Amino acid sequence: MSIARTSRLAGALALAVALVTGCASGGAETGAASGETRVFAADNGQITIPVSPKRVVATGYAVPALLEANAPLVGISSWQRGLPMMTPEDRAKYDGLAKVAGESAAETNYEAIAQAEPDLIVIGVPKPVLADIDIKRLEALAPVVAIGPSVPSMWRELSRKQADAAGSLASFDATRDEYEAKAKQLAGKYAGVLPQLKLGHVGGYGEVAKGNFQREFNGSWGTNIAQDVGANYYGQVKVKGGGSKDVSEYPSIEELASAFTEADAISYTVAADGSVPPPVQYVLDSELWKNLPAVKAGKTFPIRYTEAATYRAAMKTLDAVDQAFAPLLNP
Amino acid sequence: MTVRLRESGTRSGLLIAALVLLVVIAVLSFGVGAHGIAPGEVLRALFGGDTANPDHLVVRDVRLPRAYLAIAAGAALGVAGVLVQALSRNPLAEPGVLGVTSGAGFAITVGVSLGLSGPFGELVLSVAGALLAAALVYSVGRQSPLRLVLTGTALTFVLTGVGLGLRLLDPEVFDVYRFWSIGSLAGREQAPMALPLAAIGVGLLGALPVSRQLNAVALGETVAHTLGANVARVRFATLALITLLAGAATAIAGPILFVGLMVPHLARRLGGGSVPWLVGFGAVLGPILLLLSDMGSRVLLPTGEVPVAIVTAFVGGPVLIWAVRKYGAAPL
Repeated sequence: MSIARTSRLAGALALAVALVTGCASGGAETGAASGETRVFAADNGQITIPVSPKRVVATGYAVPALLEANAPLVGISSWQRGLPMMTPEDRAKYDGLAKVAGESAAETNYEAIAQAEPDLIVIGVPKPVLADIDIKRLEALAPVVAIGPSVPSMWRELSRKQADAAGSLASFDATRDEYEAKAKQLAGKYAGVLPQLKLGHVGGYGEVAKGNFQREFNGSWGTNIAQDVGANYYGQVKVKGGGSKDVSEYPSIEELASAFTEADAISYTVAADGSVPPPVQYVLDSELWKNLPAVKAGKTFPIRYTEAATYRAAMKTLDAVDQAFAPLLNP
Repeated sequence: MTVRLRESGTRSGLLIAALVLLVVIAVLSFGVGAHGIAPGEVLRALFGGDTANPDHLVVRDVRLPRAYLAIAAGAALGVAGVLVQALSRNPLAEPGVLGVTSGAGFAITVGVSLGLSGPFGELVLSVAGALLAAALVYSVGRQSPLRLVLTGTALTFVLTGVGLGLRLLDPEVFDVYRFWSIGSLAGREQAPMALPLAAIGVGLLGALPVSRQLNAVALGETVAHTLGANVARVRFATLALITLLAGAATAIAGPILFVGLMVPHLARRLGGGSVPWLVGFGAVLGPILLLLSDMGSRVLLPTGEVPVAIVTAFVGGPVLIWAVRKYGAAPL
């Protein structure tokens, strides 16, 4: 072997070693590539997940939370109910991402999730709905963390936890701080009127075909964000059924008068465009509604964006609550 | 002659007694529900009423319309059941075997898939579906009662299968259908009901003259011809009435299958084998059964209502078994 040939070989070896070392040191800066992991507490147990995941699949309530938190999403479930509350940027991201599941957990497309090659799957569906998902099958593809709500007002902690799992807390916390400042400002604005009222709320999930309506109490979908402004929805469910049934119930339309006779004012859920959904319209068209003291006094308030489950969406709800309750400031 | 008059008098007495019972149950039903109302308050609500009194509003605006619907749908299903059993000479037949109910359900599935929904849309779709299915069944199976039932059953299976496929493909369609498919009188008090109620009125009036002709047809085609009945015309008119009555009842309350099967058996115990009498008893016993079931649907669960079709199935099953065991299958 000549000296020149030996030196070329040594140079090539040195370059190879340098490349390998360089790649390794670059990977060490990001947890996923380095294989750095941590143990994360989720609904489905203590799960080992990448410290900094690079390819995240999100479903259910995790979709808007991780869109807002700028998580590295590669696939999401459909989340039609959240579309009116998304910013144009989040909407563009939503439209551009592969849909790996439909609106319901039962519509999970396991093949599509496999094709997305995720290194983390965040399932944001309520605990009872988890039974519709084949978690074992998903775990064969990537670590799965299930973080779903039981009580509607839990979106605050859960969306933060979802963002934490996806390694996107910094962006999330900035939005949360903005929300809290806005809620505090509105609470001050309504401090003289809102906390003194006994409020009732008609929710949008009643079932006309069963002749019932949805009454929501503190901590429910239609009430929890208004509570941050100082609203108090009096009473509690007759029978606690667990989860959302701890904070909302579905009485017969015949019980409308007894449900709201004591209410000083009543709010009700409307769609993002202001239209009244059929379950609420059923209540508004009832003669029993028209004879309620709060209705006769003109103290009824339609509230939009009650489905908000992220801080950015909830800021829209705060605006809607402000708009709805504004007449209280000018009696 | 004397015996026939005596029988006729007994049946008249029974029919009047059944009518009185119907009125009593209807009034009782005004007081029973998630929100109990005392009998005195019910009577005050019915005769005068105070628009500011929540109890009176419940009686007048929720339970009274609901009772009308129960009476109309019960009468329609009862009479349709009598007609279909007489036409097909099959004691297990009910209006659904002619494809009426599956036609309504299929039309709703297709309509909702195409974006048509809402109470009025469902009402129109169910009537249109019932009419189309009945027309198809009649065009294929008009030659004989057996062929009619077989065609209706075959069409029911086909429409049910295709409809199920469509619903499984689209969860939103499935969601609308699952509420419609469990017959209920709840939440219907505000829906536009004038048209189906009028249709039921026309159907019930039309059933009386047709039932006399059907009496002859029930004896067999040869005897019917001998008695001067036009079998084809009677069969067509009967099928049209069954479609009208069952389609309108389905439009009002969704599919409530058991009433149409059970009421003719109960009516036969009171009205004998005469089709006109069976129609009369069917028109009264159907509402009684549906009113009682609807009262039960309001109070069985502490957390909400049970759809009335589930109650009729639970009540109807044992009653039917009891009737068959006690009396045996009465001749049709």
